Amino acid sequence: MSFSEIFLGILEGLDVTLTVTAFGLLFAIPFALVAGVAQQFLTGWKRAPVTAIIEFWRSTPILVLMFMFYYTLPVAGVYLNATTVAAMTLGLHIGAYGSQSVRAALQALDRGQVEAGLAIGLTRWQVLLTIELPQMAVAMLPTFVNQFIQLVKGTALVALITMTDMTARAKELSQLTFDPPAIYGALMLAYFLLLYPATVLGRHLERVVGRRSGRLNGGRAGDV
Amino acid sequence: MDQTAISINKLNKWYGDFHVLKDIDLQVATGEQVVICGPSGSGKSTLIRCVNRLEAYQDGHIEVMGQEETNLPRLRRQVGMVFQQFNLFPHLTVLRNCTLAMTRALRMDQAEAEETALRMLERVRIREQALKFPTQLSGGQQQRVAIARALCMSPKAMLFDEPTSALDPEMIKEVLDVMADLAQDGMTMICVTHEMGFARQVADRIVFMDAGQVVEVAPPDSFFANPQNLRTRTFLEQIL
Repeated sequence: MSFSEIFLGILEGLDVTLTVTAFGLLFAIPFALVAGVAQQFLTGWKRAPVTAIIEFWRSTPILVLMFMFYYTLPVAGVYLNATTVAAMTLGLHIGAYGSQSVRAALQALDRGQVEAGLAIGLTRWQVLLTIELPQMAVAMLPTFVNQFIQLVKGTALVALITMTDMTARAKELSQLTFDPPAIYGALMLAYFLLLYPATVLGRHLERVVGRRSGRLNGGRAGDV
Repeated sequence: MDQTAISINKLNKWYGDFHVLKDIDLQVATGEQVVICGPSGSGKSTLIRCVNRLEAYQDGHIEVMGQEETNLPRLRRQVGMVFQQFNLFPHLTVLRNCTLAMTRALRMDQAEAEETALRMLERVRIREQALKFPTQLSGGQQQRVAIARALCMSPKAMLFDEPTSALDPEMIKEVLDVMADLAQDGMTMICVTHEMGFARQVADRIVFMDAGQVVEVAPPDSFFANPQNLRTRTFLEQIL
């Protein structure tokens, strides 16, 4: 098998990689926002369950989560298909990390912004939606891109719950041709081509946001 | 005295064990301008922040237009506030800064809100900057926008929390001029400031606070010429 045949063979798994990524985002983004905001807003004992949920998803290895939900839930009579399990475990794992960026961004925002919003008669909820979240979204973009990259890389694990993504295709091919250097080289190349644009985008956003926040803080661009 | 706009009665506030405000009594009539001065840490800012409940208080009563409003957004629409650090919303244009609360809290439609906003921006002489972002403006311009933003809610009274303290000297006057205009138009105002020239020119009464207490209340003439309390005298000697 030539290198390009191997490469094209691996790309047959691209749709699975992309599907899991896309559905993963559907879990990750809402979870990061809701959990991060809840952790920041709730106080006392009400906060404990939110923290517990975040820590559950964040502190368990993704692979363990996948096995747990794919192989042990059926024992309880719950059958989830592999795509759902993959998207959910990856999405919530990455989303749990994302929630901490959300919380950090909320904390970093000048308190005067909230006070000014309240002082003109907005409710706390309106302040969150119209003043805090829009400013945070910009500040968090670079972090979100990095977490997106983590999510894509995490999809390599879905091979272990029977899905045929790019990594699973590579394993299949290696059993056919016994040419690991070419096969895993091609696999690395495939991930690189997929993710490099994202890292470039992330770096670009970091620069843009850095410039903007420098301006937002009255020109103290050197402060980090 | 006319109708009372803001009435503070036996107000007490603690931060933990620290007694920040002690038995504060202060009535502000409709159309009256009151300047609060005093050394830092005396509780001036805390006092006016209690009026719109950005600070909670543990004891006493504050009535605005004759009632103690428990719906905080409704209360805050009646009492505008201007902050030392302007606190404009950096992600919105000057115009959107002004219309935000009108469209969200008052459910006014966009066109009507923009019309009001432009009128208020005109009033603080900055209408031509309506489509810029706050960071493109000087400090004095930003503070005038902040005043316009507060005026858009048609407040019954305005609170100013050291509005010129963060400004470069050459920008202080443009802000004080706008505030003097407001006073001229009969806006009820409580202003925490160290600008004694402004106090002398605009205030009906000056309140001197120290260590969480109202020490002396007097019209500007007698306040500056003949302060009754020793602490007031010491303070004035230091700043004049």
